[in-house]
Amino acid sequence: MSDIKNLTPKENEIYQLLKTVMDPEVNVNIVDLGLIYEIEYNEEQKTIKVIMTLSTRGCPLGDTILQNVQVVLEANHTGYKAVVELTWEPQWTPEMITEDGRMAIEGF
Amino acid sequence: MQAGLSTKNAPSPSVVVPHFIFGAVSFLIASIVMLIVAPDLVLHYHLNAKLLALTHVFVLGFITMVIFGALYQLIPVVMEVKLYSEKLAKTTFYLFGSGLIILVISFWNATFDNSQNWYWFWLSGSMILVAVMFFVFNTLKTASKTERKDIGNLFIVTAIVYLFLTVLLGFLMVIDLAVPFMPVSVLNLLKIHFSLGLAGWFLMLVIGVSSKLMPMFLIIHKLPEKLLGYSFYLLNAGLVCFVSAYYFYPASWLLMISSLMILAGVGLYLWFNYYAFRHRFRKNLDVGMKITAMAFILFAFILVLGIFAVINPDFTGAYQTRITMAFGASLIPGFLTAIILGQTYKTFPFIIWLQRYQSKVGKQKIPLPHELYSDQLAKIHYRTYIIAFILLMAGLLFAWIWVIRVAAIFFVITALLYNYNVFKIVLHKQKIIQQ
Repeated sequence: MSDIKNLTPKENEIYQLLKTVMDPEVNVNIVDLGLIYEIEYNEEQKTIKVIMTLSTRGCPLGDTILQNVQVVLEANHTGYKAVVELTWEPQWTPEMITEDGRMAIEGF
Repeated sequence: MQAGLSTKNAPSPSVVVPHFIFGAVSFLIASIVMLIVAPDLVLHYHLNAKLLALTHVFVLGFITMVIFGALYQLIPVVMEVKLYSEKLAKTTFYLFGSGLIILVISFWNATFDNSQNWYWFWLSGSMILVAVMFFVFNTLKTASKTERKDIGNLFIVTAIVYLFLTVLLGFLMVIDLAVPFMPVSVLNLLKIHFSLGLAGWFLMLVIGVSSKLMPMFLIIHKLPEKLLGYSFYLLNAGLVCFVSAYYFYPASWLLMISSLMILAGVGLYLWFNYYAFRHRFRKNLDVGMKITAMAFILFAFILVLGIFAVINPDFTGAYQTRITMAFGASLIPGFLTAIILGQTYKTFPFIIWLQRYQSKVGKQKIPLPHELYSDQLAKIHYRTYIIAFILLMAGLLFAWIWVIRVAAIFFVITALLYNYNVFKIVLHKQKIIQQ
């Protein structure tokens, strides 16, 4: 697994792809919200694994977002199986939001 | 199933949606009734049949009905458990709704004298009491399965217990009016009923639910939950003391101490909210949160009226009844109505959106939940509501019937726009956006 600071070029491509997945409540993508923790692209086993979190436990849209990640990954990587794992460690904080995410939330 | 994921715990929309429809229609009916009964709202007696009819449409038909629907959705989400019984929830809805219609008609036609026929009161009271017992059983049974014990959940569960006590007392009061058996005046019983309902059921519920939703909607972490802990003890101690005093020993010093405890509890909750709004990451508020924020600003005004209503200072003299009326109105068509209007836009569209689009997420371009209603109309009724509220307060405080009538017209406009949006959400047809 690679955390988001040490991604391979292929994993970085996936990271960019995940910017198409939005949190429907705040209308900001999950990458800029800082919800993606780790990505693993395994060419031999044909799997893509994403470890991510949500901004709050009990988020009513939680599994819709996870489902969205899985669908987007599999639709863009034919023949690959996407595994999306939810973690609460480390706990998400607003400091994890990127500069682009901050600007989107503040409406700039 | 991964811990913390809650959509799979959510009940089917057929459980939740009818509550929002009934609530929205009740709000419109209550607004029209307010227009008709405006002259009755300045009368100086408490067993006022038309006022009681209006209050129960507002409190049970609109506010409580929407809360029931929202709690069926919210309890499984925040407590991460499935609703105990959807069938029981649907039975509760029909029993509660039909009981309420009979009760409101009974109030409307009541004379409260020796010729009063109590049969319909007893029937409707029994139906509502049984419905509330079903609701309490269903929600507490659901809550008992949760592993998440926190202050927000404690507030929600406590509020549900107070709901039962409020309705039970209401039912006993109807019996007591026909066959007196309680050693307390009707006026004091009304005050106990009112306090249990407003401070016990509604206020505790608002505190519990807002502590859960604010982090999501405002993007904020590490809220000072200790404040809520102290608030919980103060509110409960104050309320139990207040109610016991009115029943057993209505000495003014005891009522004063218990009122101060309640006010201190409310103050701590407002401090908690102030902290949340100050430290929120999401600075731009959408229309749902703007209406909610306005509700909390109203709270400052309510506190002032509440203090005057409770301590009854000499200089208020003949205005005391008007102040008490305005205090009640500032809570029911005021604070609670504003909260329901605002939070409808934060919860209801998601329920319909999930039903219509969950299977399409990620595969096709779909509308966002807030695109299911007219944001423009919501912004307009945010303004008409503020005008309605200000006029209602002025009309009640100065006993100006025509001002109350104009306020009621603005309430009707608000309710029509709100109903339009609720039905627009309910009737939303799946729409795939062409790329």
